[in-house]
Amino acid sequence: MIFRRKKKPPFEGGGLLLFEKVEEAIRAEKVLKGKNYAVKLVAPPPTLRKGCDLAVEINLVEQMGIERLFRQKDVAYLEVVPLKGGGEVLEIVKVTNFKEATMVKAGNMKLTFDRNTGIILNASGGGCPDIPYLHAQLIDKKLTEAPRPKEIGFTLCALMMDRALVECMELWRKGGI
Amino acid sequence: MMLISGTVPIKGLPLTIGEVRLEEEFLGLNDIKIPCTQGTAALISAALAATEYLKLDPPQVLVVGDNGEGRGSRLLYEYLIKNIPDLLPDVLVLHYCLPIMDLMRKLVESVERCFKKPIMIADAASMYVAKAAGLATKFDIFTPDATEIAFLADPDATHPAYINKHLFDTDVTRTPELVDAAYQLKGAAKLLLVKGTIDYVVRDGEIIDTITEPDIPELEAIGGTGDTITGLVAAFAYAELELHEAAIIAARANRMAGKFAQATPGTKVWQIISQFPDVFKEYLCEWSGVCYVEDNRSVSIT
Repeated sequence: MIFRRKKKPPFEGGGLLLFEKVEEAIRAEKVLKGKNYAVKLVAPPPTLRKGCDLAVEINLVEQMGIERLFRQKDVAYLEVVPLKGGGEVLEIVKVTNFKEATMVKAGNMKLTFDRNTGIILNASGGGCPDIPYLHAQLIDKKLTEAPRPKEIGFTLCALMMDRALVECMELWRKGGI
Repeated sequence: MMLISGTVPIKGLPLTIGEVRLEEEFLGLNDIKIPCTQGTAALISAALAATEYLKLDPPQVLVVGDNGEGRGSRLLYEYLIKNIPDLLPDVLVLHYCLPIMDLMRKLVESVERCFKKPIMIADAASMYVAKAAGLATKFDIFTPDATEIAFLADPDATHPAYINKHLFDTDVTRTPELVDAAYQLKGAAKLLLVKGTIDYVVRDGEIIDTITEPDIPELEAIGGTGDTITGLVAAFAYAELELHEAAIIAARANRMAGKFAQATPGTKVWQIISQFPDVFKEYLCEWSGVCYVEDNRSVSIT
């Protein structure tokens, strides 16, 4: 009889956490595994290397929740970089005005508020599981009283929604347009 | 059978499979009430409105609670990977979930073991992960919006938050270029319905139709109106319309429902969904040739 070991599928996260020191990378891996994040210690490719020669591969979409966890647990790291591409999260936003409402688009997320009242009317776009939850938390709340997606969400979609909310608050502060 | 899977924003909801019913602002699933808001619930509600009108079997839904931490999403992937060859759906719709590339790869492998391959439709993060893992061409239909087509056309991005800013800044009139790039990079499904000011229906890289009327710009602001289009496409594909016809009619019906609802930026998606029966009654025969519907899953074409 031949025994075949079942092969574990390789982890494909798409993102790297970079560190100044090896011990920081090891601690970060331990903290993340303690919270059930799928991660892997890897050697960063030379083009992305900064600091030490050990990195932690993460599921890039979970970047925002991971960075918040690191702030809470005081875990030191240099930065998060995607394994492919330019390495920068989208910063630019687009604004569309309706008759009495303004829609701000940040990446794949859109947030719309009433220019007279500052109340969030709608949120659309995205596809990560925290988005319908954030939708329920934000709709019908005043911009100034709404929870920040970056405090209660976990994913890059939530990060984009946070960008949209910040821009909406800025427009509202300036008079709604 | 049409199977729709995705996460819903009910923390702690266990993995649940079954038939749903529409209850105004809610979907009823066993004893659970799921709010009909942006996401998988909106997609299911639209699909259900279409199957009810066409007197087809209602969709089977596989949902799980997940607030973004990913535990529910993992259960969803693992259930589908294990059971999809036995469930053997005719149409499989993959929607909201945490994008996990290795699990999506295993799921696609599992689908390929099905005796008869289902029509595979992906939207939201299921579309993101299919593209990121290089599996887009395994799918029959994607339904991206204007930003998401830029993501499909970006050779490197694994999430729309990381698309090249020059692609994000693209004017809507350049959508055909992005469509072309997405096909060149194998980042697109066989059929794309690109949702936007102009809806593009694209088959194997060729734009075969555009839909611009009625023009209801407010729909873009309403959370869930992209999800409803995907639900309609799925239902019409399940009704055995050609996939491009399903996409064209879905885009028209969604716009018309926005008109019927007199949509404003504050309209809720369930108010759009509640218009679908009237839209179908008035226009489906004209648009599709489906003018007489019999019981038991037969659709007569005049």
